[in-house]
Amino acid sequence: MIRPHDSIIVQTLGRFLIPVVQIFGLYVLFFGQYGPGGGFVGGVILGTGMILSVLIFGHDASRSQYTKNVLHGDGVGMLIYAGVGGLCMIGGGEFLNYANLEIPGLETASRRSLGIVLTQIGVAIDVAVTAVSIVFSLSAEEIMEDSING
Amino acid sequence: MSHQLPAILFLLPLFAAISMPVVCLKHRHWSQPISVAILAAMVLVSILNLHNVIQHGEVRYMFSGWSAPIGIEWVADGLASVTLVLLSVLGLLCVVFTGPTFPKALGGRIVHFYTLILLLVCALVGMVFTRDLFNLFVFLEVAAISSYALIGVAGGRALFAAFRYLILGTIGASLYLLGVSYLYAVTGTLNMADMANQLPLLISSKALIGGLLFMFMGLGIKMALVPFHAWMPEAYTHAPESVSPILASLVTKVALLGWIRITYWVLGAPIVIFNIPILLLVAALGTLAAVIGAFLALAQQNIKMMFAYGGISHIGIILIGLGQGNQTGFAGGIFYLLNDAVMQAALFFLAGVAFCQYGVRTIDDLGRIGKQAPWLTGSLVVIALGMIGLPPTGGFFGKWYILLGALEAGNYVSIAAVLLSTLLTLAYFVKLFESIFRQSSTQLDVQSGEIPFSFKLTLGVTSAAIILLGLFSAPIVQLLLNHALPPGF
Repeated sequence: MIRPHDSIIVQTLGRFLIPVVQIFGLYVLFFGQYGPGGGFVGGVILGTGMILSVLIFGHDASRSQYTKNVLHGDGVGMLIYAGVGGLCMIGGGEFLNYANLEIPGLETASRRSLGIVLTQIGVAIDVAVTAVSIVFSLSAEEIMEDSING
Repeated sequence: MSHQLPAILFLLPLFAAISMPVVCLKHRHWSQPISVAILAAMVLVSILNLHNVIQHGEVRYMFSGWSAPIGIEWVADGLASVTLVLLSVLGLLCVVFTGPTFPKALGGRIVHFYTLILLLVCALVGMVFTRDLFNLFVFLEVAAISSYALIGVAGGRALFAAFRYLILGTIGASLYLLGVSYLYAVTGTLNMADMANQLPLLISSKALIGGLLFMFMGLGIKMALVPFHAWMPEAYTHAPESVSPILASLVTKVALLGWIRITYWVLGAPIVIFNIPILLLVAALGTLAAVIGAFLALAQQNIKMMFAYGGISHIGIILIGLGQGNQTGFAGGIFYLLNDAVMQAALFFLAGVAFCQYGVRTIDDLGRIGKQAPWLTGSLVVIALGMIGLPPTGGFFGKWYILLGALEAGNYVSIAAVLLSTLLTLAYFVKLFESIFRQSSTQLDVQSGEIPFSFKLTLGVTSAAIILLGLFSAPIVQLLLNHALPPGF
């Protein structure tokens, strides 16, 4: 069980830092098309932002069922990844051959670009959620049970 | 459409595994029927794939459309397709078997259990198809991590065994990865066919020899080859009843298949490094494993422990067949591998039924329930015939072809090892039967009730398969000779 940090400095700095970290994570994720970056690194940074918010504001910052179910997101991320690959196969190409992504009105180059962005988003979600769930499962057992059974 | 079959075979369990936590969020009990349906679909697709490969030759699948040396290449050749049929059938049986044996302690985590089983199956499919050394490592790790979790899933003593497996398995995977990186540094490629083309020029390179040594040690740990087998009996014995069949029949065998791929497809079998013919080494390791494994099996009291050591000795027999360096020996070894997968599944189904239905773990207790359990005793007789290698079972024909191969190569030590291991197998099954048929005054009074249908189904199907593999051994071995031999063999 992680309790909120009681230092006002940490709390105030956290309010500033976390959005910046998240935006930087998104930047790294989308910049992966043109330079260093991509889904894994972007996902790690996004996950770090979430871990930071849990460490500063505690587990109970949000009590909604929604946040608990978010931990099933690793399945969703993989599903996006495999789903894009599957769409390429339906389009007649190999698994993850983005040129065969059947989207009307797009050239081959744009299809490839869109395809890789979509799969990287899937990877990023997966990595971020995995990082958060590792922290949760290390922190306390009852929360682990909640997130699994919830 | 038919060129997509390898990818479909891989994606079926993958899709099911990753969508299961979402789909079964509200309905936990759906997870077993979904797994059964997916594996049944895999059986159909793998048979289609085998038919397609036999009709039109091997299928090369390039992921993302990148062609071979750059992209990841999967090849559905005869060996992979035959193995895949076996893998999906055994996987289906194992999932059917899990129903009544499901560990009570698991409770709400049933969804995660089936997710892990499906992930394990999809990793095994990848290991069978892949022709990329690094891709092989990735699937090796996916399979291993799912196995660690599956072994430890019930807690208690199993956690210790799983942790030990985790340490040794991780060392194995690291050694394999180290070996791959050496080879990559020397050749600059990870594709098996591409590497095979470059290796003959580099055969005296020290980096290559070191890399191969690391790779073989790593895979040796994964497939429980004798000096590296310590993790295996513990892990399989303490694993939950519903998990050990799939581990024993598939995981070690598919790791062995990866080893065969590297030895024969990358290295080229008749290669000589430092005046040591690789095949002689393979046969020697096999001899060691076949005899030591059988001796250790003879010393066990726990049924599952005995069967696990029996599996270790059979890995040795397969290696003896593969090490003969002729077609008969190779086909015999592969045929014995298929048989051994079925027999190991059958043995651990049997041990699972014995424990879940009658609460029996040791050989003495098995003797006390023998006459009240016709299904158990009946299938034990069939499996024993197969393990010892008496006709008409597949085990007999597998050993027969291995012996023919050894005779052809003039390797009398191998012949002696196979025969000695057969005698020892006979000895430990005699020990079992002696316990069952002994006139025992202390009959265990078990109020077990009717044995569940899925137990009857799995025991019946595997026992029938052991005999059918024997009856149809000639066409299967012919198929292996026509389609599954390594290039230039």
